[in-house]
Amino acid sequence: MMLSRRPLLLGAAAAAALPRFAIGQTDQRPSISIAVQKITNSNTLEVLREQSNVGERVFFSSLWEGLISRDWLNGLGPVPGLATEWRRISDSVVELKLREGVRFHNGDVMTAEDVAFSFGPERMFGTTQPTAQGRTIAVRGDIIPSPAARELPVEVTGVARRAWPALERVEIVDKNTVRFHNATPDVTLEGRISRSGSEIISRRAYQEANGWFDWARKPVLTGPYKIIEFRPDHSLTLAAHDEYWGGRPPLRQIRFLEVPEVSARINALKTGEVQFACDIPPDQIGGIERDRAYEVQGGTILNHRLTCFDKNHAALTDARVRRAFTHAIDRKAIVDSLWGGRTVVPRGLQFEYFGDMFVSDWEVPRYDPAEARRLLKEANYKGDAIPYRLLNNYYTNQTPTAQILVEMWRQVGLNVSIDMKENWSQILERGDNRAVRDWSNSAPFNDPVSSLVAQHGPNGQQQQVGEYANEELNKLAVELETSTDRARRKVVFRRMLEIAEREDPAYTVLHQNATFTAKRKDIRWKASPAFAMDFRQGNWGA
Amino acid sequence: MLRFFGIRLARALLTLVLVVTFAFVVLRLSGDPALLIMSPDAPPEAIAAFRKAWGLDDPIWQQYLRYFAAIFQGDLGLSMRDGRPAIALVAERIPATLALTLPALAIKIGLGIPAGVYAALHRNSFADRAVMLLAVAGFTVPSFVLGLLLVLVFAVQLGWLPSGGQESWRHAVLPVLTLGIGGAAVLARFTRSAMLEVLGQPYMRTALAKGVPWAVAVRRHALPNAAIPTVTIVGFMVGSLLAGAVVVESVFSWLGVGRLLVVAVANRDLAVVQCILLLVATTMVIANLVVDLLYGALDPRLRVAPKGATA
Repeated sequence: MMLSRRPLLLGAAAAAALPRFAIGQTDQRPSISIAVQKITNSNTLEVLREQSNVGERVFFSSLWEGLISRDWLNGLGPVPGLATEWRRISDSVVELKLREGVRFHNGDVMTAEDVAFSFGPERMFGTTQPTAQGRTIAVRGDIIPSPAARELPVEVTGVARRAWPALERVEIVDKNTVRFHNATPDVTLEGRISRSGSEIISRRAYQEANGWFDWARKPVLTGPYKIIEFRPDHSLTLAAHDEYWGGRPPLRQIRFLEVPEVSARINALKTGEVQFACDIPPDQIGGIERDRAYEVQGGTILNHRLTCFDKNHAALTDARVRRAFTHAIDRKAIVDSLWGGRTVVPRGLQFEYFGDMFVSDWEVPRYDPAEARRLLKEANYKGDAIPYRLLNNYYTNQTPTAQILVEMWRQVGLNVSIDMKENWSQILERGDNRAVRDWSNSAPFNDPVSSLVAQHGPNGQQQQVGEYANEELNKLAVELETSTDRARRKVVFRRMLEIAEREDPAYTVLHQNATFTAKRKDIRWKASPAFAMDFRQGNWGA
Repeated sequence: MLRFFGIRLARALLTLVLVVTFAFVVLRLSGDPALLIMSPDAPPEAIAAFRKAWGLDDPIWQQYLRYFAAIFQGDLGLSMRDGRPAIALVAERIPATLALTLPALAIKIGLGIPAGVYAALHRNSFADRAVMLLAVAGFTVPSFVLGLLLVLVFAVQLGWLPSGGQESWRHAVLPVLTLGIGGAAVLARFTRSAMLEVLGQPYMRTALAKGVPWAVAVRRHALPNAAIPTVTIVGFMVGSLLAGAVVVESVFSWLGVGRLLVVAVANRDLAVVQCILLLVATTMVIANLVVDLLYGALDPRLRVAPKGATA
């Protein structure tokens, strides 16, 4: 039989196409849509620029992965990620063995060069240099990299150096081994490796992108899902990364849709347009669950709500007045009434995943109106007006919480009045009328350096904006950052809590924050104790 | 005619300068873009670096002059969130907004004007009262309430239409209706009032007394004269085609100029806000100009200004 070349080529082409088509047809995995209030604040998907809680939801564990990962479903502690094991070489060096066979979303195999590049000047640090802990990075023209450095935005270097103030370099020992060298001894190195911002990127994809923003809108990573399309302020579409080292992802496609209005998110869930509706306020939970087809999951996350004090305000210079504030708050009443008991009052500004550093017998100041009145009398407080700068529900339940607080403070004799503001710069603006305001604090890794030191220490926001300073606390902050004596570190941390929450209050913790997600009940999926949403194998079933 | 255009052009330019200046001052004095875009939890050094990179730590008058100089070179600036030219960001949102506002405008005109005329011609009848009841309801119910009501009925209860998004024409139905119903109600009320006023004028009585049929008198005398206030309102609606759907776009998750404006204002993304304001102000100015010309077409007395009168 004679065969001409053309039919043969056509046949070969058809044969090559058939299996692929068949695979496409047999992909029975479901696709889902998730309604969120906001996808990202910065309009980028770069973990070093997007510093918000909402960003965490789309980043982890779908897109970004680090060498040391976190147990997103159980306690958030460190677990092997792109590294399978790690060990201390010295107080300032950690060695990690890389997982073999990890592929990026573009099909490239992850190498030690990718790891070193991820922590290099081109991607992270620009021309900044490592400094000893306890010192902030001076923002001077000569150390701010110019846009010419692959258009690396200067704020990225600021975020990166805050995460890694003293990282000197990542050494490639062999093709499967890297070492992190710190300029100073640091017991938190492993924690820093596990924190947000320490994830691994594809060197080739980064260098081939048409500028930093193009990269940041479609980063090439190792997570179980890859980015198909990102339409800022509208949607983010992810597709399964079938070469994922952790097994074939259970979903074919995930689509995050930005739906600003809470009622619209709930409506979209009920019409079946989305399968998940995030950012559900506690007062909506009952209404959603009245329909037995739906349930609301979620709960406490790694974030505490605080009331912050400006100790330079005329009425607050006496620590006893600030202490009176802390004793006048019935935190349990707030948790029960506004949160329906779905969150808790934590043990001060610390988290259980601190492990050995968690001070388990520490508590927030007890609710004691009589003690508050006594302190005010002792401080000779005469009812001077104390302004409370407030945003309209930037945090869930923020405004009703503020109204309750003002009433509780009034009960003990504190004359606090709410001063509504539109944004954070108005909240933080210096002036005689800055006294009380709200904030929330997270802990990016499992050590108090990442919370109490980072947020209230000498380089933290509260001191940088001029609300607070305490000489002893600042000395202890440096010691907590640099000491390698673990027993001593815990003593130091406890003393810092005593100063910041009792003796000379910088803030007072109100309650742990919580986030809630509504979903169809017949979907087997478990919420993480974080904003992160885990859609990997093992956490999905219909 | 040249003088007419010259004066209006000068006014238009002054309006644009005032809009841009006012927006610049208000936005810059009421919020720090670095803190808003980077989030309050960002490290202080990152926020300081952001300010330095975008020149936000320069004196405000320097920033203002720099911005103005750039405008005259045709550069409306870069978005601090996206790093892209503001004009490109705005331009890509315009079709989506027009996809809502143009059909809504057609509904407003197609429904509102005939309803107003009909109500006026049947004054105090059941139909008049019914039309006005609906008009008052449509006029007073805020668009976000109307939008949510429509979603509850047509998306949640009946399941006929999607509750939000913009994937197909079906997604546009509810936001267009929300915009259209409210606007139609406004037009119906204005048209009815204008018609009633004209119908009571002596020249209408004269025309009817001379034996002009009622329908002809209405068509030739009442409608053109009643059109002047209606045209003013329609002109305003045309002027707000680009930024008239801010609330509705948020309720229906529609990615248009309105959503962009809300996000840009919240983040103090100055270049984007200014770009939208310039565009909206320009549209409004042009719409006003067209309305002025239409006045002349509708009423010959307005074509020639009396001697000594200023435009």
